[in-house]
Amino acid sequence: MTDLHGLIFAYNKDLRMRELIEHRTVSSIPFGGRYRVIDFMISNMVNANIHDVGVVMRESYQSLLDHLGAGKDWDMARKRGGLRILPPFGYAGVRESYRGKMEAMNQVSDYIERMRQEYVVLADGDLVANLPLEKVFESHLKSGFDITCVCSAKPVGLVESETFLIKGRRERVEEVIIGRSELGALEYLGVGIISKKLLISLVSHCAALNLANFDRDVLQGMTDKLNIGTYVFDGYAAKLQTTSGYFARSMDLLKPEVRAELFSRPVKTKVRDEASTYYGRDSRTSNCVVADGCVIEGSIENSIIFRGVRIGKGATIRNSIVMQDTSIGSGATLNYAITDKDVKVSEDRMLMGHANYPITIGKNSVV
Amino acid sequence: MTAKKECVAMLLAGGQGSRLYVLTTDVAKPAVPFGGKYRLIDFPLSNCINSGIETVGVLTQYQPHELNAYIGSGQPWDLDRLDGGVHVLPPYLRGKGGEWYKGTANAIYQNISFVDHYDPEYVLVLGGDHIYKMDYSKMLNQHKKTGAVCTIAVLDVPVEEASRMGIMNINDDGTVYEFEEKPKNPKSTLASMGIYMFSWKKLKKYLVEDEKDSKSKNDFGGNIIPNMLKNGERLMVYRFEGYWRDVGTIQSLWEANLDMLIDGDDSINLHDSKWRIYARNPTAPPHFVGANASINHSLVTEGCNVYGNVENSVLFHSVTVEEGAQVKHSIVMPGAIIGRDAVIEYAILAENVRVQPGAKIGTAQSGKMTDIAVIAAGVTVGTESVVAAGEMVDTDVPEVNQK
Repeated sequence: MTDLHGLIFAYNKDLRMRELIEHRTVSSIPFGGRYRVIDFMISNMVNANIHDVGVVMRESYQSLLDHLGAGKDWDMARKRGGLRILPPFGYAGVRESYRGKMEAMNQVSDYIERMRQEYVVLADGDLVANLPLEKVFESHLKSGFDITCVCSAKPVGLVESETFLIKGRRERVEEVIIGRSELGALEYLGVGIISKKLLISLVSHCAALNLANFDRDVLQGMTDKLNIGTYVFDGYAAKLQTTSGYFARSMDLLKPEVRAELFSRPVKTKVRDEASTYYGRDSRTSNCVVADGCVIEGSIENSIIFRGVRIGKGATIRNSIVMQDTSIGSGATLNYAITDKDVKVSEDRMLMGHANYPITIGKNSVV
Repeated sequence: MTAKKECVAMLLAGGQGSRLYVLTTDVAKPAVPFGGKYRLIDFPLSNCINSGIETVGVLTQYQPHELNAYIGSGQPWDLDRLDGGVHVLPPYLRGKGGEWYKGTANAIYQNISFVDHYDPEYVLVLGGDHIYKMDYSKMLNQHKKTGAVCTIAVLDVPVEEASRMGIMNINDDGTVYEFEEKPKNPKSTLASMGIYMFSWKKLKKYLVEDEKDSKSKNDFGGNIIPNMLKNGERLMVYRFEGYWRDVGTIQSLWEANLDMLIDGDDSINLHDSKWRIYARNPTAPPHFVGANASINHSLVTEGCNVYGNVENSVLFHSVTVEEGAQVKHSIVMPGAIIGRDAVIEYAILAENVRVQPGAKIGTAQSGKMTDIAVIAAGVTVGTESVVAAGEMVDTDVPEVNQK
């Protein structure tokens, strides 16, 4: 048991994700054949022995609630602690929605006060990485910084949406810039460790001054007052911000080294009890990630195929992402396409996009 | 206070499965992997929950550890209940000294108090090693309607197979007048599937009497059923139609696994979401199929990495088939690694087998298939070595040095 509590922010809806966030938040987007994006952060916590985790939601959360349930599939359905959903409207006397993490945490301040652990890891639910949180925590305790921010020296997200930290003497962060980068700046990955005590005081401080944002109002606004440290993570990390970014990061999974790294520790997800995938007598498969429960009669190439997908005879799927329970009719052709959950593509239809602009078919659509 | 249950299932999972040889050296037969994602016991357990039977006793005896760990709390089958659920029942010591389960009937006899705890009207006795989907609630309905003491599920089998099975001879109204074990000249083709629905009060009486008979083998088919018939009890058959396989031999295990590749009456539709077969899930990523791989008429599941050729085969989770390797007409259990250019044909590879590059296991066979090569769990088959068709290997095979 670790002295670390997890708090995941799962309400981000990046409009650049277009159709993919119509019914859900980024945390809840299907990723990697059998996962939702949030599975990676929850699994990071489970793998670091963090068993008490709160998930903060705001809107379009039905999809996430369906996925998480009571947390059983992550071994987090516990009597003491475990997974807690922190929904909106659950706290009397507050506005319907919040503008930033600090405001969100103010609305769940009772929950934070009752945490059994001395420390809290604040994490965005839309980061895909196999992050060793136990090592981040170790480094936090050793360094004595007020906040330890997990950063990457390599670019991960789109510069205009990211926060960058510049270190000065003795590893302390001296400057925080948002929306642009500089040589030597570290990209903040949206994961940080802080003591519960300091967090509570920052939350009430921000509430008093009507400050809502963690990056802008705490990291940037209080750079001088706080000792902010960094933990540089040099492994694979993906932030999902745009449809084309989602497409490219998904295709990263076709690289053996990326899979080896992301899955070197177990990534848990909702169990669907599907049978194995059946490959038909005339099927052809090349360079694909394929989940369980599919029946593949056609040909698939450079693609990610989610659970329960049916691909008819003579269908050709190339450079595409086919989400769960999609059925592709015989003779249909997909190239640079993303089909969301439960899509039906009829026989002989052709869907062609481009690597820069993959064509996206929304949930439940019939083509 | 425990809620009364109408029907409790007792699953006999103590069988050694000695005709599966090296595959059951370390595990009980019901724990043998099957169909890509399952173990044999998943079929009766899933049938129970899908039929609305939520209290199941699993009677274990031989090599129970893996089976116990596998069943755990019963969560994968939704059998983790506050009231009822799945319970593993090994033989245990009593005041006057305990003993092993002497026979199938004795196993239930020793657990009379478990059954009584739920005060059921009916007890369903099942085997743990058959592959089938069956709605036991339909059998229960018939049992109630006919007022039988015991209802026995039967399958109409071809005449030539009847003499290898337990055969129920029945009157026109479906009542059983005779049970014959492996009759030379079968009078009927209704074979017992080893699935019995009993009225508990009656069964209990027969179990207690049977226990007093020192000559009894304490077996359902050999003693309890014949005794009931002798006393003129009403025994009925319940006709089952559909896929049902006993996988007691290497050959039948191999065949039944490959049956899962086809559709229709000679198989089970594992993709049917209305009657799912549940299993404990490994935590593994989706499988990956390499650029030069080919997979045809095969089942592949999570954690696999396929770079070679796979044809008419079943790969369990986390199997690796390296480039140039060929797997045909074979069953490859979890965690096995098949090295470059190795050739596997007509074989069963148990868990975590390592086949080094260039090794050959089994050979292409023509005509009627009889010889399946079997490699036991954890065995390494050395580089360029050869395991002949039908050979059974449970120690490492040394590599062959090339000149």
